[in-house]
Order: sequence, then structure tokens, then C-alpha cells
Amino acid sequence: MNFLRFPEVIVRPARWAALAGAAVILSGCGGGASTEALPPATPGTQQQTYNGPPPATEDVQNFMVELWTNLQPTGAAACGDCHSQAGGQSPLFARFDDVNSAYAAAGPLTDRDQPALSRLVTKVFNNGAGHNCWLASPQACADIMTTWIENWVGGGATGGRQIILTPPPLNPPGSTKVFPPTPAGPPDFTPIHDLLTQYCSDCHRSDGPILQQQPFFAETDINVAYAAAQSKIDLNNPPDSRFVFRLGVQFHNCWSDCASDSATMLAAIQAYAGLINPEPVDPNLVTSMALTLLEGTVASGGNRFEANQIALYEFKAGQGFTAFDTSGVAPAMDLALSPTGVNWVGGWGIELIDGKAQATTTTSRKLHDLIANLTGEYAIEAWVAPGNVVQEESRIVSYSAGTQARNFHLGQTLYQYDAYNRSGSTDGNGEPFLTTSAADEDLQATLQHVVVNYDPINGRRIYVNGVFTDDVDPVPGDTLVDWDDTFAFVLGNEVSGDRQWQGVIKLVAIHNRTLTDAQIQQNMDAGVGQKFFLLFYVGDLVNLPGSYVMFEVAQFDNYSYLFNAPVFLNLDTSTTISGVPLVGMKIGLNGSVLDVGQAYANLNLTLNDTVGQPLSNMGTVIPLQNGPDVDEFFLTFDQLGQNFGPVTPPTNLTLPPEAAVGPQPDIGLRTFDEINATMSAVTTVPPGEVQSTFDLVRQQLPAVPDAGTFSSAQEIGIAQLAIAYCDALIENDVNRRNQYFPNFTTNFGQIPSTAYAGANRDDLINPLVDRIMGVGLIASQPAFADVVDELGYVAAGGNPARPPNLIDRLIAADDSDSDRTEDIAKAVCSAVLGSGIALVQ
Amino acid sequence: MHSVRRLRKGFLLVACAFCLISGTASADVRDQARRIHDRLAGVPPSQTVLDTMEQDIINGGQSQAAYESAAYTAMQNSEFYKVTLKNFAAPWTNRDFDVFVPLNDYVATVIGIVRDDDQPGYVPFNELLSADVLYVGAGNLGLPAYSAANNNHYAQMERDDVDLGDPLQLVRDAQTVRNGIPAAGVAGVLTTRAAAEAFFVAGTNRAMFRFTMVNHLCNDMEQMLDTTRAADRIRQDVSRSPGGDSRVYLTNCIGCHSGMDPLAQAYAYHDYDDATGRLVYTPGTVVPKYFNNDTTFQYGFVTPDDSWDNYWRDGPNNRFEWDFGPNTPGGSGSGAASMGRELANSKAFARCQAKKVFRAVCLRDPADANDAAQIESMTVSFRDGGYRLKQVFAESAVYCMGD
Repeated sequence: MNFLRFPEVIVRPARWAALAGAAVILSGCGGGASTEALPPATPGTQQQTYNGPPPATEDVQNFMVELWTNLQPTGAAACGDCHSQAGGQSPLFARFDDVNSAYAAAGPLTDRDQPALSRLVTKVFNNGAGHNCWLASPQACADIMTTWIENWVGGGATGGRQIILTPPPLNPPGSTKVFPPTPAGPPDFTPIHDLLTQYCSDCHRSDGPILQQQPFFAETDINVAYAAAQSKIDLNNPPDSRFVFRLGVQFHNCWSDCASDSATMLAAIQAYAGLINPEPVDPNLVTSMALTLLEGTVASGGNRFEANQIALYEFKAGQGFTAFDTSGVAPAMDLALSPTGVNWVGGWGIELIDGKAQATTTTSRKLHDLIANLTGEYAIEAWVAPGNVVQEESRIVSYSAGTQARNFHLGQTLYQYDAYNRSGSTDGNGEPFLTTSAADEDLQATLQHVVVNYDPINGRRIYVNGVFTDDVDPVPGDTLVDWDDTFAFVLGNEVSGDRQWQGVIKLVAIHNRTLTDAQIQQNMDAGVGQKFFLLFYVGDLVNLPGSYVMFEVAQFDNYSYLFNAPVFLNLDTSTTISGVPLVGMKIGLNGSVLDVGQAYANLNLTLNDTVGQPLSNMGTVIPLQNGPDVDEFFLTFDQLGQNFGPVTPPTNLTLPPEAAVGPQPDIGLRTFDEINATMSAVTTVPPGEVQSTFDLVRQQLPAVPDAGTFSSAQEIGIAQLAIAYCDALIENDVNRRNQYFPNFTTNFGQIPSTAYAGANRDDLINPLVDRIMGVGLIASQPAFADVVDELGYVAAGGNPARPPNLIDRLIAADDSDSDRTEDIAKAVCSAVLGSGIALVQ
Repeated sequence: MHSVRRLRKGFLLVACAFCLISGTASADVRDQARRIHDRLAGVPPSQTVLDTMEQDIINGGQSQAAYESAAYTAMQNSEFYKVTLKNFAAPWTNRDFDVFVPLNDYVATVIGIVRDDDQPGYVPFNELLSADVLYVGAGNLGLPAYSAANNNHYAQMERDDVDLGDPLQLVRDAQTVRNGIPAAGVAGVLTTRAAAEAFFVAGTNRAMFRFTMVNHLCNDMEQMLDTTRAADRIRQDVSRSPGGDSRVYLTNCIGCHSGMDPLAQAYAYHDYDDATGRLVYTPGTVVPKYFNNDTTFQYGFVTPDDSWDNYWRDGPNNRFEWDFGPNTPGGSGSGAASMGRELANSKAFARCQAKKVFRAVCLRDPADANDAAQIESMTVSFRDGGYRLKQVFAESAVYCMGD
């Protein structure tokens, strides 16, 4: 007996082959009959008095409790209004005179293997039109009917739901638009090029004046720009072009208003793309057959643990202003979506931007009754993708009356999940609250599975992606007798509307028991959202009819699909295959092979198994183009069997010339260590003698040599250091000073007017100038004579008038004693040492 | 005895005098020699050295070789090592590109490699990211003993103003000897303690790769962006739908991670232990940080070992000319050292060194086509001359010595 093998899937041999041709039944992944225990009694449902014969078997008893009760005229579905002995409409599966007869009538209408395919479900859905659906959404009625059937048959189920793989239609890949070989076209690329060169050329050009940022799609040479721009333009779906996205969504260097700039760019691309006719898929490619998402086999639902689930939101409706509670536990706690600020998300979910989804206080009372009054414990389970990690005190899931009164809530503060719960150990707002560690950053702005457990023994415990966060409740657990039954259940905000949370919610479930670690992991593994098995036919390529590469595919968010877990199989499990090479598999979309997201391009393996050979354990995300209803996927192969795809020659590029940034200063600054070393070298004072001053001003001195970065603060630091060196030169060591100023030694003992009389001052100035400026140098610095004059010789006067030289000015200010002579020597030294002569190199 | 009062007084006296000096004149050989020395050593030459350089240039007929010979004379000044090279390498050793960091083993090793590149058995600079080399202070300097767990040894070297240009004071050693890390775990300066502390600490080890690209190939991740590479090695911790919007991933994240993750896999056995302050190497065992946030996208790549692949050898980043150097591993391998060779034998690496030296010596970025041609010339001669960085310094100094 052959069995298909799939990751995380129990596989059974083909059955129902007569119904579906070469059909194969999978089991497990996406199981529907998943409940493992009967849910609690449904309160609030008006029970009709039953006087008929008792249930003949345990299964009839389950049927009666889980399904039949809801079908009665007094039940939620009220099918019994017609399909009963009173209504007379056959089949009488809701008759209330004999539950055993009703059970018999319901049997043919029920698919115990796949509850979602039961006639009871498909009829109430009626292809979306609904058949006496008791809710606004036929999908919600179908989901609830499915849940009732699952609850009925769940106890007797031996495993997960079975999935029938049905061969899809064999459609070759469609056509696509491709760029003409040259920018001259037709169509002419010039209009787009004009936009790029006008608004993007400051950076995206090899000689951009601000940056030289690759890719150079704004290059003046249109051929260069054309080559670089192609990957930024989506001819088949212009709004998805990166040029449009960067302006309109990421607000990247818009030249005026981002919305209008994006529209301008989009219009140019649309005009260009509109003139290009779609071309068929490259005939040289080795391709599989193509199919759309909806031509796949539904694999959704997941093998979730739902035994104690009392509220469930999967957001399948996709439109309208109601998110239905499809738990099947009455009363249905449906959520009213804000008219604006809440959007539906593809692949099931809602995006909260500036709004909320709130139940009435009447239906919300279900939580109070089934938790506080019944079990005293609960679990909040959610699949969420926080929109950012900067929002604080925002509400994701809340059961409350305002910012100061609640029974519970799950919220976000930056990278942390918050859990509030009102109990005997907290105040009326559920505080002290539990929050995950800020350092752990458990919350990330990506899709996460979050569970908050609460019970009187353990208090609150938070799990993220199936893992306990290790954060301990600051208060012990207690009873929930203080819960208020007048509060409302709400998602995405506080009921008062002033704690907005932004992000995507793809599923919320409330359980009136805590989930065990295993159950949390089970629900985490079950995943979320709508999934399909896509069968890409490759039988012609491997010379084995019935052969497929199967992917598990889901719409990941509004902008992409998730392709995961590719498997090679043949629907006829009696076939065999051996030694067939598979090299380089890529995903194609709408006629062209995608440039991005190819996670299987490096596959290189041999097919030896027709009953489910895994090709990779990787998943990948590829962009959504036209929507899940119409996007058509296919696969290409570098080699499959003896079929070879075109070989792309490797690129052979060279490093472009170093970008020139325009005229630059020919000189620069000495940096901090250079200044220190320079001052030490020209004064002969070891750096250690001024270490304290250098340490003080070190980071104040220039760190980079760019002349343009010079600031007055740096000059102050340089002056301090120069003074310290000159002070050390004059004061610290007389012998060193005498060697430095050999002809001025005796003058240090005179008053200034004597010491600096006449040419004496040459004996002080010249050693300084010679050492600091260097002998025989004239370039890039002042003339020696000018420096000497400024220090000691130039007279006052002139027009405009100027003061006399430095030494004369200092003598005039104070000529009292020999200490003043040393001060003046330091000043002259510092004037030279701290000037641009030493600073500039 | 000088006093604070007198210091302040002197400061006030001089403050008004800094702006007094101005005016320029034309240059000659002596000025050129002076500038060569200034730019290389960071300090003015002594009269004797300047005289020697001037005379050598004149005697050499003012040829390129004569000028370069003068540049080598300038590079004998210890300040070339203690100041110029130290501050040249210091920003590579921390995430803030801070030049004010204390001397460390990364910087000292760069200085030593450059200093000894005219010696037999030298370490070519294209082995900077792979060689088993470490420079330490000589044992007779009275320094704290070298430790793989702290920087005291090097900090004291700086405080003591040790002459890093003296082979008797800064001596060559090996990381395998000093740190006890097997040869397979050594990757040049990347496995120095300073590099580990800065780039292997916490995180996911991508920092080591990113900063290596910035510091040694002069390209940050944004310049590497290529969304067309295969996405099969992007780890599980990369969200495919940041904030619920997969466009961000498909147009941005994937562009770097598709190439970076398979390269950074080379560091899968490296970590930095903040508690002990030292590099950790776990041969055969991928360090836990490679599995951080593994539920963010559970279908992502799970790192099995330290094998790496360079997906950027194809596509637009092929422009890096990965086979420019003589001993490239060819685009794949195992471990940090071979990946270091992959990077260091690219033309981007060689040009990056030339560009950094140009900037350090000419004190500016390339301004025009002539500058670009000079960098190209130095890039080629750097490789052809055996990856000796002093040669690049000499050529840059001569190019920018003035007319």
C-alpha cells in the first residue's frame, strides 16, 4: 500500500477515486474536525421542549447537542421553520418530533471527513448568495454551520480533516509585457527618463552632486538609465512599480507632494506600458502548467484546538462592516467595524488604522457568563501584525468600559505585550498589569501568534509564537467575581476610542479555559488565513502523467503570496520515478518569471519518489499583482528531466570609476593627535607634560581633516593646548628653554621693555618661527616677514587704522616685572603655535 | 612656578593674535617635501629630515621614484604609526566610527601589518581579513600582559606613548597562539578582541559583515541592494511582512538579506561573551544568535553550519570584481577566514583601501577625473605590488604634494 508523505501531514491512500478521477486524499493539515472535547453548554439559547424519543446512540446525542439544537425554530439557524415535520420541507433534518429521524435525515447532508463540504454548509452558503442565512454574510453562516458539524463529529474523528487533491485544469502560462530592447522603443522611454533626470539625478547618477547612489536610473545617458530603471518598473502592473511605491508609500525624496508625484510617475509608466503589447511566455523556458490560487485545493482551517473556544473571528467576510463571531457559541458576539479606519485584508484579516471593531455590551456578556461565572479562567489568542513598535498603551483585544475600567485586555507598548486582568488581586482596571520584558523585545512588527492565559493558580502568562515569554505576573491569581457584565468586547482600540492600536489582526479567539503549552503550539503550528494546495503539472516534463509539484500557498498580506513546502508527487501512487534531475526551480506570475523572492532557484536534486518527495523546507514570499482571483502562477526549471531552460550567461561587470564629487579644498586640518604631536615636535615639550590639558580638549579638537568642518570651538581647544605647550616651554625646564631661545636667556630676567628692546625680540621670535613654520618654506603659509612683523615690529597707523604689533601692545598693557616678560613670551609662542600655521596642513 | 592665573592671562593675550597671520607664496621642492611629510606623519619634519628629503628628490631628478623615496623617509617618523595609522584604523573598530577610541588589538594589528609590509614574510593587506596575525607590545615594556579578555595591554601602550613604528616595541604574534582559538576560527582583524566586542556582541553577527563592508569595501548595504538574488538563505528572523506590509520586504529587506545572509553565515561559530569580555568560537556548533526570533518567519533559512556563498558574484554586484586579487576562494567556502579572503580579493576592497588612503593623505575626496584615475592607478599598483599599503600612502602623498 502506497502512502503520500508530506511535511506535517498525515497522508492516506487514495479513496474516492471514482468521484474525482485521479484524486488523492490528504489528511491532517487544515483539519476541520478538530475539537477534542465537547464545548461547554451554550447558554442563552432558548431550548425548545422536546418530547420525542431519546437519542438512540451517543452520536445521536452529540448530533442533538451540537447541531440539531441550533437548527430548531428556536435555534440560531432556525432551519426547522421549514425542514421539520411542521414546515414540511424535505429533507426533515431539523424535525423536532424525533431526533433520531432528524439524525437519519441529516446523515446524507453531512460530510464527516470534510465538514466544510457538507451539503448543509454548501447549501447555506449557496455560492455566496446564501440560503436562508440568518446572518448578513453567507460565509459566516457557512463557517458556523461547519463548526456545529465539526463539534458533532469531532468526538468520533480519528484524525484531522482529509483533503482531496483534485487535478486542476491544464492551462499553459499566459502572456506578459516585456521591455523593448532599446529606450527608443517603441514606445519611447524618454518621458519617464525626463522625470527621472529632472527629479532623481541629484543622487541616482554616477556624477550626482549630492550622492552617487546606485542604481543610476537618472543617468544622463538614456541607455544607462533605461537598463537601471527596468527593475523599478512593473509593466504588467504599473501601480506596483518601485518608482511609484517609493514616492507614494515611502515618501522617498518627493519633489513636491508625494501623492501627486507618485501619480505623475504612475501616469508616465502607465502611458508607457499601455503601448506595449503582451508577449507570450518565452518559448525556451521549461514551464509547468499554470493555475490560479482558487484553482488550488483549499487547505485552510488548521488543526486548531478549539474545544473551549467561545468566540472566534477569522475575518473571512472580506467586505462590509461586520466581523462575525463564528465560534458557534451563542450569542454570536459579532463586531461592528468603524466606517473608516478599518480595512479588510486579503487572505483574511482586518487592518486597523484609525478605528475599531466592537461588539455590543449585550453579546459581550457572553464572555462574562462563560468565563467569570463558569470557569474562572480564560485564554486570549490572536494572530496580529503590529503596524509599528512605537505605539504605546494601545489596545489590541479588550473587554472594557474605558481607559479606567476593564475585565481584560491585550495591548501593546513599544516592543512589549501588555496583559491586564481584573481579579480579586487587582484594581478595577486590571492593574498591576503584566508586560513582557522590554529588553526581550517580544513584540515585533510582523505577524505573531499571541496567547494570554489567565487562571487563578498561575495568574497571567503571555506566549508569543508558541513560546512562554518568562514574564511573571506581578500579582497572584484570584477569582474573577468582580468582572463587570456591562463591558464591551473590542479590537484595535479602547471602547472610548482613545487608545488606538495600528496593525493587522488575522484571527482572534477567546477560550474559557487556559490553553496548555501543547495546545498553544498546536494552534501556532496550524497557522492562520486562507491556504491552498497548488498542483503544478509537470507530467509532460518528467514523462510521467499525473506528476505535479505541489505548493502550499496562501495570500500572505495585501501585497504578496506565501509559497511554502514544495513537494513532488504523482496522483497515481502506484507509479514510480527514478533519477530525474530537477535544477533551478522558479516561480512565474502572469506570464513572466519573477525577479524577486525566488527561494528555489538554487535547487539541485534528483526525483526518486512519487508519493511526496519534499523539494525544500523553505517558504518564500512573492509579490501579488492583480489579485488572488486572477493572478496566474506557473513554475520554470533550469532543468527538469531532459528539458533544459535557457542558460543566462553570467554578468561580467567592472567597477565603475570612482565618483568625483567636484572641487575640494587642497588643504586640510591637522586632527587632534596630529595637533598634539605637532605642538610637541615644534616646542620640544614631551606630550606627557601637557597630558591633562590634552585629555581635557582632545575631543574638542578636529576629528576629521575637512577644512569645512572647522569651528570656533575647535579654535578654543587649540588655543588652550598651545598655551599649555608654550607655558611648559617657558616655565618647566630652564635648560630646555635656554636651548630653544639661546640668545634670549638673560632677557627672561628683565622687565618687558628691556627684554624686548630693539632687536632683542628677534631672539624670541625667530626660534619660534623657524621651528613652527619651518625654514625655507613659502608655500601654503604666510611669508616669514609678515609673521615676524605682526609679532614684534609693525607699527600702529595706516588707513584704516590698525594697532601696533603684539609685543608692543602687551608691553603697553603691563611693563611691571620679569614675570610679565615670560607671559609675553608665552603669548608670542602661543600666537604662532596656535595659529593656522600649525593647524593647517 | 606658573599659575592658573597666568595661563588664563596668556590665553587672553593670544586669542586675538591667531587671526594675524595670512598670505601664501608658491611652492618648490622643499615645500613639496614638507607637505609629503606633513600629510604622512601628521607632524612637521625636523630640519634635518626635511633637508634629506629635499636633497633626495633633487638628486633623483624629481622623478616619481625620488618623490616616493622621500615619502618612505617621512613614513619612518614614528608619528606615522602612532598618529596617522592609528587614527586611520580606529574608526573601523567600533560602530560609531569613533576615532577617539583607545588603542586596541585591531588597530595595533593594522599598524603592524602596514609597518612590516617591506619585510620578508610580511602579511599582504589582502589577508587583513583572514590571516592568523596579531601585534602586541614587547615583553620588556612593562605593560600589563596581553589578554584576550580585556584591552588593558593596548590602552597602556597608548598611555606610555610606545613607539608603534619600532619593531622592537610592537611585535608580531599569532591569534592562535595568544587567544587559543584554532586556526579555523581566526580571520585577521575580524577576530581580534576589539572587533568581536564591537561587532560580534549580541545581535545576529550581521553587524560584523555590514561594518566590514563599510570599512573595507567602502559600500554600505544600501549600495549592495539587489532584489533579484535567490532568497533561499534569508534567515527566519527577517520579517517577510514588516508591519503587515510585504512590499517593504520585497523592495527593501530582500535586497540586502539575500546576499548578506549567505555571506554572514561564515560567522556562524563566532560570538562575543559580554560577561567574560572575549571572543567565543564554537567549531561545529552554530551559535544561538543565528536562531533568534526563529518564529518571525518559520519557513526561513535555518543555519546548519558556517558555509557561505557569495550570491553577489552575479547580478549588479558583480561589478565588485570579486576575482581581482590573486587568492580568491571563488565564491563559496566555509568559515570566516575564507569569506574574508573573498571580500579582500575583490577590486572593491583594493580600491577602498586606495580611496581611504587618498582621503587620509590628500585630506579630501576625489574631486575630478584625474583623482579618479589616480585611485584606479593606485588600486592596480596596490595589487600588483603585493598589497603593500605603505606604497599606496607614498603614491597618494606624492600625488597630493602640490605643484
